[in-house]
Amino acid sequence: MTTVGFEATSTSLTCGLVDSRMRLVSADQALSELQEACGGRVPGQLAIPELRILVDLAQDLKLRIARKFSAHDGQHFVAGFVRIRPLTDGGFELSIEDLRNEPGVSSSHETATRLDTIDRVAAEIVAKLDGNQRIRMLNTNAADAKDFQTMVAADPGKPWYDFVILHGVSHQQPLHWRLLDGAECEIPGSARNWRIRLIPLGTVMPKPSAFELLFVSDVPFTMVDSAPSGPPSSHAIGETLTPVLRQPIARIVANAETIRARLAGPLRREYSDYAANIAAAGKHLRAMLVDLSDLESVENDDFSTMSEQVDLIDASRRAAGILGVRASDREITLDVDGEGDVVALAEYRRVLQILINLIGNAIAYSPEGSTVTIRANRDGEHSVSISVSDEGPGIAEGHSTKIFEKFERLGRESDGSKDPGSGLGLYISRKLALAMNGELTLQSPVRTDPPMGARFTLRLPTFQ
Amino acid sequence: MFETAPLHQDFEATQSGRRTKGVTQIEHTLQEALVSGDRALRSVPSMLSLIVGESAQSLLSDAIVAKVRGFLESLAEQLLEAKAGCHRLDIGSREIDKIVAALSVDGALLNYCYALAVESRATDKLGQTAAVDPVLSPLLQELIASSDAASAELAMRAMAAQSRFVQQQMRMELPLEELPAELLDRTLNRWRSIYDEDAEIIQAVESIKNAYDEGSSRTGLMMRLVTRMRGGAIAGLEVAHAGMALFTTSLASLSKQPRELTVLACQEGQAPRLALSLRSTGMESEAIQRQFHFLNPAEQPSSALRALDPARALAILHHDHPAF
Repeated sequence: MTTVGFEATSTSLTCGLVDSRMRLVSADQALSELQEACGGRVPGQLAIPELRILVDLAQDLKLRIARKFSAHDGQHFVAGFVRIRPLTDGGFELSIEDLRNEPGVSSSHETATRLDTIDRVAAEIVAKLDGNQRIRMLNTNAADAKDFQTMVAADPGKPWYDFVILHGVSHQQPLHWRLLDGAECEIPGSARNWRIRLIPLGTVMPKPSAFELLFVSDVPFTMVDSAPSGPPSSHAIGETLTPVLRQPIARIVANAETIRARLAGPLRREYSDYAANIAAAGKHLRAMLVDLSDLESVENDDFSTMSEQVDLIDASRRAAGILGVRASDREITLDVDGEGDVVALAEYRRVLQILINLIGNAIAYSPEGSTVTIRANRDGEHSVSISVSDEGPGIAEGHSTKIFEKFERLGRESDGSKDPGSGLGLYISRKLALAMNGELTLQSPVRTDPPMGARFTLRLPTFQ
Repeated sequence: MFETAPLHQDFEATQSGRRTKGVTQIEHTLQEALVSGDRALRSVPSMLSLIVGESAQSLLSDAIVAKVRGFLESLAEQLLEAKAGCHRLDIGSREIDKIVAALSVDGALLNYCYALAVESRATDKLGQTAAVDPVLSPLLQELIASSDAASAELAMRAMAAQSRFVQQQMRMELPLEELPAELLDRTLNRWRSIYDEDAEIIQAVESIKNAYDEGSSRTGLMMRLVTRMRGGAIAGLEVAHAGMALFTTSLASLSKQPRELTVLACQEGQAPRLALSLRSTGMESEAIQRQFHFLNPAEQPSSALRALDPARALAILHHDHPAF
């Protein structure tokens, strides 16, 4: 990984030179940025009040002093440890160790937080960046930012400032984030002027691990023609990232399994259990990645499925076979049946994906020793269906549509809680069903004894 | 005669002429001197009770008083040695006493010496109650083993300084270079003023100042180390893990108090400050009790602390800051 030069040095040592007239005549980048944030220049009068007090002290005492100090750069508290050495010519050498942002508690900090919140609400373009300011995700519902969004989606993994025209920022690349926060810029395709907010996330030093990037405009966009007012489209770069991440995650899982199984020698039980947790988390992450890239493809406007002849009974037997081991682990019987030929016009792979999701859920949320029933039916001339019913607690009536929403898990804890799920499965399944001109629905539980659990039905057009 | 005029007639007398005014001023001065003398006498019993009081852990045990006196003498010796051509053996005890007398009126210096003596006592005690090595605490050991070379080097230097500190405490020594910059400056100024700006002394002062580097002193190194630990300074708040030196430095840094004050907060009778300081860092009451267990088992943090917001604790601490 390449690190931006400045961050690497700022963590250890930042130096500056102050002359006998209290002018900061030269300074490393972090110090000169702080000086500029406090309204000064380099060279120019030392403008950081807290440092000025310490330099005055060193001048009075004519001693080498070393103090912890903190200053406010207009946005954050910056803290470090400064060593000040009086020079023979009346000047001072400043060396600051560990200059970094500090979580400060003060009214000005609260003000800054409030301003951040206001900007978050007012922002029309919102992006998530990684530590190197490369765009990971960009959302907008501003009609004049669509071009910008398309450009970003077409060229993922580039720093955001490569896409815009910055005003009044003349520094050499790569730019330090503090200088960019608050800068003005132009966005391709938009006539408006935008203000940038770059809010660091996570620990800020040695360098932020991620950023929130907001584009705020003071001028509202006057809509010429009514732009489609759908939900903001999300273009995560999951599709790009999934293949890249799959390998390292697989390695994490494999190594954790090795430790868990004590393959490399004796190990205390607790550590083996930790490794099992790591492996489980890794598997979850892997499943999540697959879901995320699926999510992106089903949410893509030009997503389409193939149309082929799909035998639903065959597909459900195949899905049951794949999940057979998991079911028998929990002593759950998978009962697959259907009458005659139940053939749909759909994409086999996608039908199988939906069925695996439905049956997998049924196994996870059913009590041990129960039965999951899978039935294929001809509903009429134009429609065939397949239903998956379990004997679990069911899903409350009010939740029958909510359960298909993104990341919705309805607070359920599956009994086989090894796989906590991403909350995306049903959402994706339903999107897939819709893409195949079908539908995925949930029937509310029938109050019988023993209780009939949830029943999901996938309805698809008949193959003529 | 006017000399015997009752005091309360002063103000009337002032009106009547210059001569009378001069006299009443003398009386006024005398009265003030009397009040301050009485005040000094009144404070003797309370000081005596601290000195002759029972335990070795009291605020002013004999050991503490002896150490503070020893530190001042040590400073005086070093000052005399710094004068060109002066050797230890040539230094007369009268010279030393003269300097000690001049230094012992400096409240800030006395406070600093007192805090050092208390820190040394608490360090010893922690060695007994929690088996923390006075020089190499578990945390310092971890820092020395840090994969970050700069941190490891800093930790190494801090350990060396701490080991010197432990030695010096036994010999009741206080090296000039271990003083904070302001105190060193005051000490040098007092010394210079005793000798009427003697040229030799001015030169000695110059050379002491040139050799001084606050960042290389023990407390300077500890503070640099804690600053370097960033959020990890929290780790420094477990006294049995961090040891007295890093604990008090971390606490000072996170609760924004002078280090000496956090040292003094660790002794008997100072439970409120210690508890508030710890709480101001966001420490939970269970963890606070743990620190008390090691530092001051006789006292308990107030149970009201649990409900106190850390930001409020900080505000209370800084509400009226003693002159330190």
